Amino acid sequence: MKSINIYEGSQHQWIMFGRDKNKPDNIIDSNQYMVRTANRCLLLDPGGYELFAPMMAAVLHHAPVEQITDLFASHQDPDVISSLSLWDQALPHAKLHAPKIWEGFLRHYGCESIEYVPIADNGGSLKLEAIELQFIPAHYLHSSGNFHVYDPEAKILMSGDIGAALEPGEAPLFVDDFEAHTEKMRYFHQRWMPSNPAKKTWIERVRKLDIEILAPQHGRMFKGDDVGRFLDWFDALQVGMAV
Amino acid sequence: MNHQTKTQFIAVASITSELTAVISISKEISLAAANAKAIAFRAGDKARGFQPITDFINDLAKEMIQNIEIINELATSLCRITIKEYRKTEAFNKFELITTTCGSAVHAHSMQKPLADAKAIVQNCQLQFKRDVALLMDHLDTVTQHAKTAGIIATYSRIEASQAGEYLQSLQTVSKSVDNAARKIHDHVQRCIIALSRFGSANK
Repeated sequence: MKSINIYEGSQHQWIMFGRDKNKPDNIIDSNQYMVRTANRCLLLDPGGYELFAPMMAAVLHHAPVEQITDLFASHQDPDVISSLSLWDQALPHAKLHAPKIWEGFLRHYGCESIEYVPIADNGGSLKLEAIELQFIPAHYLHSSGNFHVYDPEAKILMSGDIGAALEPGEAPLFVDDFEAHTEKMRYFHQRWMPSNPAKKTWIERVRKLDIEILAPQHGRMFKGDDVGRFLDWFDALQVGMAV
Repeated sequence: MNHQTKTQFIAVASITSELTAVISISKEISLAAANAKAIAFRAGDKARGFQPITDFINDLAKEMIQNIEIINELATSLCRITIKEYRKTEAFNKFELITTTCGSAVHAHSMQKPLADAKAIVQNCQLQFKRDVALLMDHLDTVTQHAKTAGIIATYSRIEASQAGEYLQSLQTVSKSVDNAARKIHDHVQRCIIALSRFGSANK
């Protein structure tokens, strides 16, 4: 599994994990992220059951097990967090930050030791040593209880399934040709995002944030001007097309 | 899932199924005892020897049901232990894979504790499984003894029934049904014992 530093600041780092060559063919490729401060780490959407071993092996290049203190699940899906039972056994004192409405469901993955910290519908924040991360509501995009993570210092928005693209093979880490990339995103957004009003609300909220990198859970990340291009494109896109 | 875990799941599932049948048959014995008691009451002096037998059969059936309920609880516990062992073994295997694949990772050593903890829990589950199997075997032996006793009583009650005049037929039917039930219970319990015996000598 590849890991790449996407932000290096004085207080913390953002590391992206993905493009695992040994991943089984019939599961979706996903991006995992880690926010590392001096003594603590937060794993964002740490991945599916099949991905646990390569993910943990990759993490060990950056941090020891005992410093992984927090996990975040943007929503309840298996590609996001079905590895929970294994993290639960590897990290008996960690906390899982996840939407409040999914607690009773997420615990089915196995949650014996990890403390579930429910995120209220209107969001919240997480202090990780010197930095503070914000949980941004993104409900119905595509799950009914859904959050993104914004880091105002690094100017990164981890955007869950928004901005995701489905493409075969080892895609580049960043979007390099926005126009060409839209075709890789269109079906995913139209089919997996159910609500135009929810989309509008999210865009209004996110346009107020200063974002340098938009980091989705699947596919390539957006950097610089491509973030604004993506928001414009998404704004114009009609979603919920399977009715 | 490895062969051992599969075998454990199958054994636990099969004994649960066998025990359901045993409870049902024990209730039949209890009903037969009540029926026999009513007949013996009507028969009066002709079935004087039969009356205490019916109480004994009834008590025996109750004891059997109580034992089976304990066995059922133990079987449920075995099922939980097997699931826990399966999950912990999965984790242990993943942790071991990580230690072999993370290569020169700076923090590779930090997996040692989760690995050791998972191994200890797996071993503890295996030990607990063996202990519960031993306990369950003891209860199964008790039920086997009860079934044998029921068989002996059935034989004895047939002799008593032979002196019951016009009630002979009814009481012999009761004796026969107790005898059949005792045999069936014995067979079901033996199948439970065979299913569990493959898990070897247990440490009590």
